[in-house]
Amino acid sequence: MTQEFDVMPGNKAVAHGVRLARVEVVPVFPITPQTTIIEYISDFVADGKLDAEYIHSEGEHSCMAMAVGASMTGARTFTATCSQGLAYMHEVVAQATNYRTPLVMAIANRTLGWYWSLGPDYSDIMPEMNLGWLVNFVETNQECLDMTLMNYKIAEDYRVLLPTMMSLDGFYLSYSQERVYLPEIEMVDDWLPPYKAPYPVDPTVSKAWPSAMIPPALHTTYRKLHEDVMNDAKKVIAEVDKSYGEVFGRSYGGMVEKYRCEDADSLIVTMGSMTTAARRAVDKLRSEGEKIGLLKLRFMRPFPNEEIIELAEQVESIGVVDRVMMHGTGGGMAFQDIKGVLYNTEIKVPVQNFVTGLGGEDIPIDDLYVMGKKILKNKGRKLINEVEFVAHEFQAAAPPVEYEGDSCMHPGSDGCAGCGASIIARTLLDTLGENTVVINPPNCSGVNYGGVVKVPWVLGNFAAGAAYMTGVYRALRKKGKADKVYVTSYAGDGGTVDIGLQSISGAAERGESIIWLCYDNEAYMNTGIQRSGSTPLFSATSTTPVGSEWKGKPQRRKNMLMIMAAHRIPYIATASLSYLPDFKRKIKKAAEVTRAGEGLAYLHVHQPCTTGWYFDPAKTVEIGRLAVQSGAWPIMEIDHGVPKINVKPRELKPVKEYLAPQRRFRHVTDEQLEIIQGYINNDWDSYLRLEKDGKLPWY
Amino acid sequence: MMVQDKSLIKGLALNDIAVKGGKYVANWRAYKPEIDYEKCVACGLCISYCPEAAINQTDDKMPKIDYRFCKGCGICANECPQKAITMIQEDES
Repeated sequence: MTQEFDVMPGNKAVAHGVRLARVEVVPVFPITPQTTIIEYISDFVADGKLDAEYIHSEGEHSCMAMAVGASMTGARTFTATCSQGLAYMHEVVAQATNYRTPLVMAIANRTLGWYWSLGPDYSDIMPEMNLGWLVNFVETNQECLDMTLMNYKIAEDYRVLLPTMMSLDGFYLSYSQERVYLPEIEMVDDWLPPYKAPYPVDPTVSKAWPSAMIPPALHTTYRKLHEDVMNDAKKVIAEVDKSYGEVFGRSYGGMVEKYRCEDADSLIVTMGSMTTAARRAVDKLRSEGEKIGLLKLRFMRPFPNEEIIELAEQVESIGVVDRVMMHGTGGGMAFQDIKGVLYNTEIKVPVQNFVTGLGGEDIPIDDLYVMGKKILKNKGRKLINEVEFVAHEFQAAAPPVEYEGDSCMHPGSDGCAGCGASIIARTLLDTLGENTVVINPPNCSGVNYGGVVKVPWVLGNFAAGAAYMTGVYRALRKKGKADKVYVTSYAGDGGTVDIGLQSISGAAERGESIIWLCYDNEAYMNTGIQRSGSTPLFSATSTTPVGSEWKGKPQRRKNMLMIMAAHRIPYIATASLSYLPDFKRKIKKAAEVTRAGEGLAYLHVHQPCTTGWYFDPAKTVEIGRLAVQSGAWPIMEIDHGVPKINVKPRELKPVKEYLAPQRRFRHVTDEQLEIIQGYINNDWDSYLRLEKDGKLPWY
Repeated sequence: MMVQDKSLIKGLALNDIAVKGGKYVANWRAYKPEIDYEKCVACGLCISYCPEAAINQTDDKMPKIDYRFCKGCGICANECPQKAITMIQEDES
């Protein structure tokens, strides 16, 4: 059978799988290295190639809840995440099981902090392993596509009816290009019929729905039943793998894949993308006459007990390569599982563990070859070193360059040429001085400038920036230092208006005397320009692309100024990097009110982004000025409830002058332009009216 | 007895603000800003707006570019009210 192929990264293969499966609901939230999956899907939806409800969620916890809600209502549902995002979903991940939602989630593996890395290891998926989901690991981009389809067929089978996590290694698969064959959608339609939920939360269809509550006396019974389901799933996995092979010409062995195991007396066990390198290592050892085989764990949940016992009976030595550490147990994940499977059997075979590739470090063929040699040596011997950590020498980057200057930021950084965020950060820190603690919910400035500042710059978690600050501030206050150290955030718009909002609202309402600084570049720039709640109307982003169906972001941005004003905090201001004296005055004012213990000071600073808005880097400050002069970004403050417009052009410039140099608006039609101009005029008039009326009545 | 000897702490990675310097980024540059000191009035805007903190004030108040830290973004040239900064293409070699 001939099939079309294309060369694509793993994330695109997953997206094609989603398209071919005609997924109906796709809630999303960006996180590297998963994000391009949802970007490719948004392209499909924007161009009418996939007819799906695409939901831009405000954080992963919500994203997973949307997925569970959609799936329990009977829609075929997909989402994707990894690392911190998966950890943030955790609570809802557990809930997905008892609602028996056969949704499929792709995990483009990335290390879970601590320590932070963008590279893959299985520390992100490890805490999710035992929540009753099916969990499988793929090795190639083709397998990404094939397993996306197979996972729906497995998960939606009423003998299973469980959510499924598909793990593809970040970078090694997510961004690496491979040849991928694309099945015809008509063939997929025949093979994978639409999902029909047995008990959807839809009173027009069903009067019953899956319950989250059972009496404690039934818990053990139901957990046992769930274990039976997991066991039954093994049969379904084998069936689906076989049937996929018959229809599409590719099958993978079901629960595990055995490579050169026929006459093997030793076995190396792997999972995920490292398997490809392990195959080559096994080939090399085989060519030297060694009888070593490879076992690729495809499903980790349910765990392939039978397959492992069968092979353990055959071989005299086993080595397990783990890309994760289960701290406190002394070894890795697959290692502990395999040892557990073998313990109550008659089999006495040494099982050695190699823990390696953590933080996304490569696991090269040479390393796997050496591991293979060690496994072979273990035959008939008592293990001396049960767990071996295979680490590599650290190649230090270039040493720091000495210089003259006394700014709170060192010169030179990893930021984009022409980055406005660094101008804002330097102005902030130079104004506040060295006795400042910066809490940094993840963003591009953390990556680029966190390492070049001369004050403590602490990486917080995305949804909890203001809560970290509260902790720091309260500890300082308890120790009598609240008037000696400033606590400020350096947060992006995503960390402020979307995922971080609840935490800020809590801190504002409690009256924590901290400075919230948001540098607003109007999208998630760190993960590659995805739409945020602060992205302006009609802006194109990588998750609101322009296509035959979509014409940029259809919603207006949140008005954070008014959201904060509703909290009656002492000081709220917008600012721009193009008006630095005004910005400095506002930083000083924020410092003043927080030092006086009056409560939260909120600074929202506009930051034109050369990379994300697509304009010449030399124009960063110029574009910022145009935003203010056109009224697209009014510079204001609300000082103890009194609103004031700080920069008031005699006449607002037409917004077209501000939008025209930015490629994110190049698709904007005259009609759209008129709508934007209308809203700007209306907002401007509203602010003038507020200013005229004086103190906001609710203060 | 509780041990509180810093030298006994294992596996703690530290951020230490005391030990850092600048980062060499001159090899990013395609265009190089050059200041015409005849035109410069030492207003300091280029210093404020340089995203890399690569421009410093000298003793005579004049700006001085430390090219080791300049990526050549061109903001200084674009913002200079005196048009005293010109972007010159770097030598291909």
